[in-house]
Amino acid sequence: MTDWETLNKGKKINKAMKAYLERAKEHDEFMEKQQFEYKIGKRHLANMMGEDPETFTQKDVDRAIEYLFPSGIYDPAARPLMKPPEEVFPTRKAAEFDEAGRPFHFLFYTGSPNFYKLLYDIVENMQDLYRFDDKVRRKKAVPDPNASLNLDATLWVTKDHLEKLLVEKVSDLKYNNFIGAMDRLVALPYSYRHKEFIEKYRKSLSSQRFALEIPKPNYDENGRAYVTTYECLRKSARGVVTIRSPGTGKIIINGKDLTYFADIQPREQVLFPLIFTGMQNSVDVEATIEGGGYTGQSGAIRWGIAWGLRSFVDKDMLDKMHVAGLLTRDYRRRERKKPGQPGARKKSTWKKR
Amino acid sequence: MTRVGRRFSELDGQVCEHTMGCSAMFAHDIYPQHKDPLDHPDYFHVHNLFTVKDLFDARVHYGHKEGSLNEHMKPYLYGSRLGHLIFDLDITAEHLRKALNFAAHIAYRGGVIIFFNRNAQNAHLVEKTALECGEYAHTRFWQGGIFTNSTRQFGAVTRLPDLCIFLNTQNNILNQHTAVRDSAKMLIPTIGIVDTNCSPNIITYPVPGNDDTPVAIELYCKLFKAAILRGKEERKKFLQETE
Repeated sequence: MTDWETLNKGKKINKAMKAYLERAKEHDEFMEKQQFEYKIGKRHLANMMGEDPETFTQKDVDRAIEYLFPSGIYDPAARPLMKPPEEVFPTRKAAEFDEAGRPFHFLFYTGSPNFYKLLYDIVENMQDLYRFDDKVRRKKAVPDPNASLNLDATLWVTKDHLEKLLVEKVSDLKYNNFIGAMDRLVALPYSYRHKEFIEKYRKSLSSQRFALEIPKPNYDENGRAYVTTYECLRKSARGVVTIRSPGTGKIIINGKDLTYFADIQPREQVLFPLIFTGMQNSVDVEATIEGGGYTGQSGAIRWGIAWGLRSFVDKDMLDKMHVAGLLTRDYRRRERKKPGQPGARKKSTWKKR
Repeated sequence: MTRVGRRFSELDGQVCEHTMGCSAMFAHDIYPQHKDPLDHPDYFHVHNLFTVKDLFDARVHYGHKEGSLNEHMKPYLYGSRLGHLIFDLDITAEHLRKALNFAAHIAYRGGVIIFFNRNAQNAHLVEKTALECGEYAHTRFWQGGIFTNSTRQFGAVTRLPDLCIFLNTQNNILNQHTAVRDSAKMLIPTIGIVDTNCSPNIITYPVPGNDDTPVAIELYCKLFKAAILRGKEERKKFLQETE
């Protein structure tokens, strides 16, 4: 009977699965070929560079490529490269369905199952909270005043982060829907009951990230604590800033005092982190700086001082410094001059005739 | 007014009363000579899943206002009251039973069943139903080509559903869900709850009834879930026996 064919055995492999297996096999063969070619190429490269092909590592390959194919292309990704094939070719997607071709995920046909499952979970949690609220009211109980959700120090995850969490593309519209749904869940009176779920999608404000990185101060022969910050950069200035505590507010820049800077503006820049933290009379600052002009130099010192002061201030002040932008590196550089115009943006005067 | 639904509703008046609560007593247990489930008129006994009274209580008989009537829905109507159209629940019951029977058969054969609903209020319920019976749901914006261009959409050869169940067949109040047309194109059978303002034309198993009220949707979900689970249970039994 033909009707029974679909029921019998269950060993039959679906067309979708068959296609998937075929693709997998194709991919494996392709990767094997690429691996082989990579190995041969590496040996050739080693011979060209006059080195031992057996001990030629990926680092040596990169060096050799840079030497043999020097490139001034601005974007590093566009420069010639030779990487192992697993890094170059995208990894194969795992099968999303079983042998009968039935998808594993119940929202598979929506195209973005993980995102919609997340929305589903949000509603599920909301309904749970509604039910709980009803129960509390029916018992005429009062809500626990101590239990509440504190979300001051955290934000919703960004779109990129959410995409990484879900392993799916999330459009702006979908992201807004997600934020709206989450806000509704959080606004419910008993939302603390699903704290774990909510916090999975919260990211702490960045102040926390310094907690582990802040260096412990060293001690010199006089027993004074000091912290040295290397590579203080701003524009084309670069310098080294050392902060000593306790001190009297002495500032030494390249062997001179604050009058190293002739103008008021750069002096204010240097003093700003000290005044902001209220430590202008309790630490000494030594800085050596080179390159750049006075703006770049003062900016570099300012950042170096702020970065070094992290070791001497408490957590509250650290948060304030972060909010004030003291701990943010200024990566702006001079913009190049463009041909056909006198400056980076400036245009020559235009006259019709 | 046509009266096609009489035979079934009179029959289930008797069946329902004495089979309610003892769903294990299937006809094929009594008559073992019925080997092929398709020979049996109601192999999974979906008749005892509901009564016309249940439909009435779930407000399935409420249609839309007179002005929005789709001409093709006329045969399923009982009449109009205070400007609102009322479905003939006897006809509805007959169609719903056919649909439930079909869904159970598809589940029995290991088919992929997908639930559709574009009403945000009922979307969660529908998704939950799909999850509970191990099937699929699509209650979101329909990206064109999911059926008609599936290989491109999913990036691989994909098995399409074997049955689409539409708990409402419209996108909004004006347009029909594109999936109705697309499943017709791809020869995927459809079950659709069609209200008085919807077109039953290209739906394989149209079920005339209210597609807005949450209570009604809840009832449909419950019924389809029960039918699908019965089909799956039988399938499991069959596979165990043949192994």
